[in-house]
Amino acid sequence: MRATSPAQGNYLMPQRILLGPQRPITNLGTAIVDAALPDGSLAVISAGWQEAESDIDDIQAVVQRPLVDLRIYRRAEEVFAASPELLVAYRARQDKLKALQRLYRLRLRRLLNAARQMLRTRGDASVIEAEQRHAIAQLRALDRHHMRRVGSVHEEFDAAFDVATHALLARHNAEISALLDGSETVLLTGGNVAVLINRLRLFGLGALLAGKNLVAWSAGAMALSERIVLFHDNPPQGRRNPELFGPGLALIRGQVVFPNARTRLRTSDRVRMQLLCRRFAPAVCVTLDSGSVVRFVEDELAATDSVRRISDDGRLRKVKAR
Amino acid sequence: MNAALRKLFRKGSPGKAEIDAFIAGAEFPLVDGSEVTFVYRGVADAVYLRCWISGFDAAQPFQLLNGTELWVSTIELPAGSRIEYKFEIEAGGNRHLIVDPLNDVLAHDPFGANSVCQGSGYERPVWTLHDPEARSGSIDSFNVESSAFRESRGTSVYLPARFRRKRRYPLLVVHDGHDYVRYADLKIVLDNLIHYLEVPQMIVALTQSPDRLKEYAGDERHAAFIAYDLLPQLADKYPLSDDVTARGIMGASFGGVAALHAAWRHPQLFRRLLLQSGSFAFSDLGRHRRTAVFDPVARFMNAFREDTGELAGKIYMSCGVYESLIYENRSLVPRLQTQGIDVRFEEVRDAHNWENWRDRLRSGLSWLFPGPLWMVYE
Repeated sequence: MRATSPAQGNYLMPQRILLGPQRPITNLGTAIVDAALPDGSLAVISAGWQEAESDIDDIQAVVQRPLVDLRIYRRAEEVFAASPELLVAYRARQDKLKALQRLYRLRLRRLLNAARQMLRTRGDASVIEAEQRHAIAQLRALDRHHMRRVGSVHEEFDAAFDVATHALLARHNAEISALLDGSETVLLTGGNVAVLINRLRLFGLGALLAGKNLVAWSAGAMALSERIVLFHDNPPQGRRNPELFGPGLALIRGQVVFPNARTRLRTSDRVRMQLLCRRFAPAVCVTLDSGSVVRFVEDELAATDSVRRISDDGRLRKVKAR
Repeated sequence: MNAALRKLFRKGSPGKAEIDAFIAGAEFPLVDGSEVTFVYRGVADAVYLRCWISGFDAAQPFQLLNGTELWVSTIELPAGSRIEYKFEIEAGGNRHLIVDPLNDVLAHDPFGANSVCQGSGYERPVWTLHDPEARSGSIDSFNVESSAFRESRGTSVYLPARFRRKRRYPLLVVHDGHDYVRYADLKIVLDNLIHYLEVPQMIVALTQSPDRLKEYAGDERHAAFIAYDLLPQLADKYPLSDDVTARGIMGASFGGVAALHAAWRHPQLFRRLLLQSGSFAFSDLGRHRRTAVFDPVARFMNAFREDTGELAGKIYMSCGVYESLIYENRSLVPRLQTQGIDVRFEEVRDAHNWENWRDRLRSGLSWLFPGPLWMVYE
């Protein structure tokens, strides 16, 4: 696999390009050109769009290249219809994950409230700072615990229904693998991040995508990261707390991505932002708004545009490539 | 006097043509900050404003403006308020109620129509209006064979757009469901909120009682109908989620009592409650102060207040501050909270009517049933 950038020489390692929402600013086409990704067809994963998975005409119009639709949402529907035992087990897993998420949320709310209050407290630093650190450590411990618990539920399911052992999953995995042979670059769209990551896992896409150039936006970018954090500070039902959803494919390391942060995060609330930064450190919390581009080569930052990171003082700072 | 009327009368009593022009050029009632002036034009012995809201006299008298057939009545109405009203015209020894002939904004309910006064700052929420971009769900009908009532009960069921049998859906049971659709635009609201990802795709059972003041007043047969007739037959017919936190029940007024009672009797079945202007009459000592139709309600509410049992995990309540029921609703909130129930209570400057309940649907439904907006990152 070879990815080439005329500006920076030949890359032997695949590139990872993360973008913000493609509306109002559509920068998918320029991002592909700027990264000098290899010519040829582009594979597309748009499972996050669910029933609208195959509506990829807009992408075609932007990239002006042949597209290969991997149809993984549709494939999952076919598998569920053909394998009742897998469907039952899948639903049981989802029920278990939902129950875990609810229990996690119960404790998270209290720990986050406590940590925020600590960070808002003013006074003798020699007294307060240790308490703040401890409050954040408790939060991080809960996050780690939740990731472990979610991971073990996935492992339990994967042990029974894996692309290596389940004939139908194996067949689809082989078909997807064959389709990917003809494309050096894969696009992952936004959409429902839970649906997307669940389908990616179901068909064992992590291993198949590892050697490819990946261009992903919004939910797609979240799915490529190590940890998926759900967030929305301004939904109609009232503010919610950012929560860990579970592991991503870990094809991007050291970053927690926050798409459409301008709309979804209360970036003016320094304490909330500061807490995000400290909670997920040493990973960098990166905001991806429409027009943002961040490009990695072998986990190294190669280029950025309009990307911000949340710093430990709660401010947004520009991210610059080395 | 309202500024526009003052201007009309600045040179003395206006003539017919001037009044015609004034009426053609103004929106009624006349809203000027927190001051609202109602205007009636016609021959009468007396005119009264009737708005059935707590805090006002039952009938506010109008004043006849000198040398004209213009009657006016001015009230103070805080910003953001919305009230429904009629005019009561007294003429020749008779009294009759009419909607405001100068105001086209009407609200409907099972008893007919009322005029609507939208106070300064009130705007009808856009999500209550038909959005052509939102896919339309469908309404299915079927009969529930009820052993509780020993008869068949016609029930409607809202199915979301792109409904699929392979999926499992949350369920919401709505008391006075047909009225919610007709008078509170429930179907439009569901279509929109689902389209905006603010609530999940859900199945909504729209129930209607032939004798709601009796059956909704804490009647054991009704709770049994919901638990043993309606739910199992819905589960047989539709793909419902097994998760009890994906099961909700709601209602307004007596429908709120029915929802609370059914959930209290069968707490394992419903973990989400949406109660709007619940008629939660109770008494701490002696008899309650309402009419006899509230007797069974008060019996239930007194028992409920004594022992709330294992009630729902999340309850959304709303009530208008211009309703006498605000007292009972406010009283219930701390009682529920002390039981560890997650309660969200919304007070609004509105009264006991369907549009009040319509305007609260978004905050209630999206809180009880958060949609995939949380999961969607486009």
